[in-house]
Amino acid sequence: MNFALTFALPPRYPNGNLYTGVSGGGGLLETNNILEHPTGPEYQLVVGEGTYLLRDDLHLATPPPHPSDAPQPNNNPLATTIGPPTAGTKLSIAVIAPRKPPAQSLFRTQTVQSTRSGMPPSIQEETQSSGKSDGGSIANGFIAGSYYSGQVPAFGDGNPALQPAPVKGKKGEQRAKPKNNIIKSNSSFVSRVIPHESLQKRLQERSPEGLLAFANINRALIWLDLSSETAKTENMTKVLFTKAHAVCHDINEFTKAATHLDVILGFNSGDIIWYECISQKYARLNKNGIINAAPVSKILWMPNKENFFLAAHMDGSVVAYDKEKEDAEFVAEEGTENGHSNGAVKPATKFRVLKSIQSRNQKTNPVAFWKISNMKVNNMAFSPDGQLLAIVCDDGTLTIMDYIRERVLDVFRSYYGAIICVTWSPDGRYVLTGGQDDLVSIWSIVDSALVARCVGHESWITDVKFDPWRCDERNYRFGSVGEDCRLLLWDFSVGMLGRSKALSARNRGTSVSSSMPLDRKVSRASAAEVSRLRSNSSLTTQPDGISDGQTAPQEDGEGVLHSVEPRASTAVLPPVMSKQVDNHPLSWLGFEERCIITSCKDGHIREWDRPKEGADDGTQR
Amino acid sequence: MSFFGKLKGSSSAAPTTTVVPPKKDPNAPVPTPLEKHLVDATGPVRPDGSDKFFGFENYGSTCYCNSIMQCLYYSAPFREHVLNFPSKPLLDQLAEEQQSEANGTPVANGAPLSPRNTSSTPYPNMSSPARKLMQPQSPGQNQLKQEENKDSPEHRKKLALAAGPVLDMTGDNSTKYSMDESLFTSLKDIFEAIIGNQSRIGVVSPHKFLEILRRENEMFRSAMHQDAHEFLNLLLNQVVDNVELFAKQHPQLQQQPQANGGPREELQEKGLAMAMSSAVAASSQVANGGMDTHWVHDLFEGLLTSETRCLTCENTSQRDEAFLDLSVDLAAHTSVTSCLRKFSEEEMLCERNKFHCDNCGGLQEAEKRMKIKRLPRILALHLKRFKYTEDLQRLQKLFHKVVYPFHLRLFNTTEDAEDPDRLYELYAVVVHIGGGPYHGHYVSIIKTQDRGWLLFDDELVEPVTKDYVLNFFGGEPVPGVQDAKQLACAYVLFYQETTLEAVLKEQEAEGVQQAATRVSEADIARDPTSPTTRAANLEHSQTVTTPPAEYMAPMDPLAHAQTAPSEMSPHRPAPFENGLTTTAAPVSPVMPLKTKKELKAEEKERKAAAKAQQKLDEQKRKEESQKRVERWKKQDEEYKHVLEMSKQSANDEAKRRGEDAPSSSDKPSTAGASGGSGGGLSRFARHGSMSLRSSKPKLFGGSGSSSSKDKTTAQQTTAQQTVLVESAGAAPGGSSPLPSVPQGQAAAHTGGGGHAPVSTDFAAARTGDATAAPASGRRESMAGAGAGGAAEEQKRLRHRFSLGRKRSTML
Repeated sequence: MNFALTFALPPRYPNGNLYTGVSGGGGLLETNNILEHPTGPEYQLVVGEGTYLLRDDLHLATPPPHPSDAPQPNNNPLATTIGPPTAGTKLSIAVIAPRKPPAQSLFRTQTVQSTRSGMPPSIQEETQSSGKSDGGSIANGFIAGSYYSGQVPAFGDGNPALQPAPVKGKKGEQRAKPKNNIIKSNSSFVSRVIPHESLQKRLQERSPEGLLAFANINRALIWLDLSSETAKTENMTKVLFTKAHAVCHDINEFTKAATHLDVILGFNSGDIIWYECISQKYARLNKNGIINAAPVSKILWMPNKENFFLAAHMDGSVVAYDKEKEDAEFVAEEGTENGHSNGAVKPATKFRVLKSIQSRNQKTNPVAFWKISNMKVNNMAFSPDGQLLAIVCDDGTLTIMDYIRERVLDVFRSYYGAIICVTWSPDGRYVLTGGQDDLVSIWSIVDSALVARCVGHESWITDVKFDPWRCDERNYRFGSVGEDCRLLLWDFSVGMLGRSKALSARNRGTSVSSSMPLDRKVSRASAAEVSRLRSNSSLTTQPDGISDGQTAPQEDGEGVLHSVEPRASTAVLPPVMSKQVDNHPLSWLGFEERCIITSCKDGHIREWDRPKEGADDGTQR
Repeated sequence: MSFFGKLKGSSSAAPTTTVVPPKKDPNAPVPTPLEKHLVDATGPVRPDGSDKFFGFENYGSTCYCNSIMQCLYYSAPFREHVLNFPSKPLLDQLAEEQQSEANGTPVANGAPLSPRNTSSTPYPNMSSPARKLMQPQSPGQNQLKQEENKDSPEHRKKLALAAGPVLDMTGDNSTKYSMDESLFTSLKDIFEAIIGNQSRIGVVSPHKFLEILRRENEMFRSAMHQDAHEFLNLLLNQVVDNVELFAKQHPQLQQQPQANGGPREELQEKGLAMAMSSAVAASSQVANGGMDTHWVHDLFEGLLTSETRCLTCENTSQRDEAFLDLSVDLAAHTSVTSCLRKFSEEEMLCERNKFHCDNCGGLQEAEKRMKIKRLPRILALHLKRFKYTEDLQRLQKLFHKVVYPFHLRLFNTTEDAEDPDRLYELYAVVVHIGGGPYHGHYVSIIKTQDRGWLLFDDELVEPVTKDYVLNFFGGEPVPGVQDAKQLACAYVLFYQETTLEAVLKEQEAEGVQQAATRVSEADIARDPTSPTTRAANLEHSQTVTTPPAEYMAPMDPLAHAQTAPSEMSPHRPAPFENGLTTTAAPVSPVMPLKTKKELKAEEKERKAAAKAQQKLDEQKRKEESQKRVERWKKQDEEYKHVLEMSKQSANDEAKRRGEDAPSSSDKPSTAGASGGSGGGLSRFARHGSMSLRSSKPKLFGGSGSSSSKDKTTAQQTTAQQTVLVESAGAAPGGSSPLPSVPQGQAAAHTGGGGHAPVSTDFAAARTGDATAAPASGRRESMAGAGAGGAAEEQKRLRHRFSLGRKRSTML
């Protein structure tokens, strides 16, 4: 509070004359984060279950530009230089020891749908993992490795070349640490590291149930203890990079412990940093873009893997790295190792395996290299069971991929424009996307079809997440945030939507769609993949033009391209709540046990406490 | 180098002057970004004009015209229709008929103006504006600044003009088309000339076009900053008129081949049903070889249905209204999709904005909503960035961030709309640069058939990346951030219909291109001397060569925000600058001096780019560049020669100009000069009232569609731009017919404007009131208002305009 009084203005550097070209040689003053607690009706979210109240508004300090990189005043409004992409503040959240997983009942149930899907119960009840950072929610945590080990294939299985590399120690043993000390580093990539003076003490004294967060703002990465009562504004550590911005990051759920947090950072320069924040060690991968020079738009640890992570690059590729392997210049090994990209079948999608995980050459990074699209990959998310990967691109596609077998199962299209964000439902049955059509689209993975489009945003949607604490086997709550500065909450239930309009329209035949030019089938999909998801029952739900191919399933199929559903045959879902929650476009959304968290492009992190009298039978407290 | 203009002027005896590109500076042999971009363009030039890349010369704040013309040119169907109307068979037929009476030879360029060219047309004869603009003023100052500013847009524009070929569109070929001279014929002339020229690049000097525009439309007569959207309206409507007039004049042509559809006269009648049916008929006639006069409608026209439900009698009335573009209100942090949604949201007509219900007779409260019943093939979306603010009593530019996607579908269609899921792709963006509505600059960014996106900034044409297109969402300028990009916002968006297949195909092609460029990028990335890794990228090469220098320049957004021949850009001194230079100089920051280091860095970048180029396509490149160097050498010699000759005449003309200036006060440009500094800047003030329209749709559907349209003379059409039947109330304060607010504004946007362009602007506006001239007329008529009232209003408006003009000229 006091800070708010001292710094009435946003926590930028006091000198308004930053860009005079006089790059201050001396040490620039570090400003502090600001914590505020605004109240009033405009800081409340009124929903059916009660009222969410804004508890904290933490405004992160924007670092000044590095002296070597001070922006020059630009007096040409048409200057054609486009700087590297930047991103609003996003969070990676970890809870070291969560009290309990959300919505237990959800994972227990065996509903009609789940048996029909033929999908294994996606998340076991006694899961130990939780607080998956990206989801900001336990729901996106993955089942413990022990559950599936031996039963379900994991990434890299069956490749002897990979055998010695992974899993050196079991959980609890000493984890591998990166080599270089980030504080003492003289790298030109890392500018400065400012750890809290009593970092160890804070780490020891904090509750393991509290939220730890990593947030990016401008060229800084900030480590915060969001549950700290007294020192919330004080960074656990602040890492300043010289030029590059960390635009995405992720915490490894599998290796996280009170003494070990593996964080992976993707930069707009293409570089990647593996950072272990407790020992303050780091390693740099894809140095200067030697493997892929395109900026990283999304980075994720692979579920239940200590070493592997995926980086989505803005040239349309997704690259798998091993955090401990050295870089080596990448040469595509297209179509050598496996039959996925043999020329016999004309591929229906743009998906190409440029290096397979099964490649014998696994001495260096990358571990695998997939080309998804010709355009930017904007985001990706692992299914809760860790078996599937959803990838969304600037070309407006949602790709559902069996990344373990390196195969594309489905390719869906947005109504129009790029898709910006993607997430899975806690039970893995639905995928949500949001993008430039101002729509949140609900896709049924089981039925391989569009379920509904959600209308309510006034601009592009930048993030979408399920609220696992308010989901059960039939009812789903999710939220979305966008460029319109709004948070929207949505409810949908299996019963309410029933069989969507789209599905029933299809059953009637093509009468609706045949008149629509846009409904022409994009692909013959000669070799349609019959995935394990719909091995026997889902033929009827396929679009007509595609279903022929399914009678002759081929193992090396390239996946199914789905056409765009016309508006007339699509169910429309309205929001249950819509509210402007910030003055700046929002960039991230997370659901936690106690609160909803939003963050914006200007660095405001806002925590909205769940209603105390919530319909959630008092589990909140 | 501003004597190129001189050169041009002196050699203007030839109708189409190909000016030799003179290169003195050491950088000369470096090809322009556009040249580099087109270096692999081999083989014959396509006859459809899709691979021609011509800039348009700026005649003094005519960027509104240039930007729109480019957008229209690169609409393939529009261009095709312009070229093919009247169609060849028709012309042959006409020629036969008229063989005896009419000689079909085109009028020579430079022919005397038609009698319609009255004295009120302030447009001077051909030798004047562009030529004088090109003349050097006080030589010392001029040359100095040039040296400083090699990479400024102004300088590059001049180079483009110098490099040529310059197509001087002074002639009129209308008789060749058997048409009267009109905006359409001069537009057609320009298109034909571009396509007819062997060069892929060059500059068009749209002299005749502007002359006709100004002759027939008082609004555009002054050299002031005009509204690009308004010009688009006017142009489309005039093309419709001209084309239909032709049909009327040659009724015999229409009768014969028509197998179906009614006679063409239908088009002249009012009534939507007619318009629609004739639209259908017209399109079917194309195949029959009949005369299609409805193609502008076929391309741009959509149909709005407005449903009004009277809250008193519950009676619902429906009205269909055609539109050629949609004007949408803006809100901060929204998308184009959302703006369109809002456009179709239900609204209440109440208080001063009541609805005249035919059923209960009288003004009643009502609910109204507008939906799109027929989707246009080209959707021209006007973002209403210029908004009248009540408290300031003037127009204000809205900097709201409004995002626009590359692809779009419309949500606001009626249930029975045909193809409601039609997919549109963005193909052109008109960008307004500037802090306020009364001044600034327009450029357009356009997707070409197979050359990616290009930036058209008057004479300058440059390739840009696809990402660049999304650079103009807008957003409130941040105080303290010195980035002139904040002043540039998308103003008109052109979406054209497409199919998913086409989009997929294009994405595929983009992938191939990317792969190619990536290789070269990788090459250069490993080259330690290369300043940036992007240098090698063909498509992006200009990103390297230009901006670093500009980055270093002190903040002076207006230098660029203005159209090229402004007082800030001394390279192209306009006649009126005589009066200006003294007053403007103290306030305008001196253009930045580049340090040697910077120059070196630039040089380095250039070299890197060139190097990468060679790697990419070594052989071809070598040949090309060698040829180019040779040509330039030759040209340089020639140039020196001509230079000598022109120096003499430059002096002469300068003298003469000095004498002329006081007397030629009816010239808009000189009018400014005589008024001192404030008056000089008043050319940025504008008469236009169009953006004041708070009407939701622009309803000037043209022939027979909108009831308010009463097109008998071109003049009326112009006035009509401002008077639209509409449903007010969308904009706050727009709910009733307001008295027009004479609005004077001499926005002297000088000095360090970049910090807070808006506020600077306000200040300027207030102080500028004294020198005020142009009236911003404002008029709205309610949906039920009679046409008579509208006509009356038109008269008043016109009166007001001329009043405003007089005042401004007096100043």
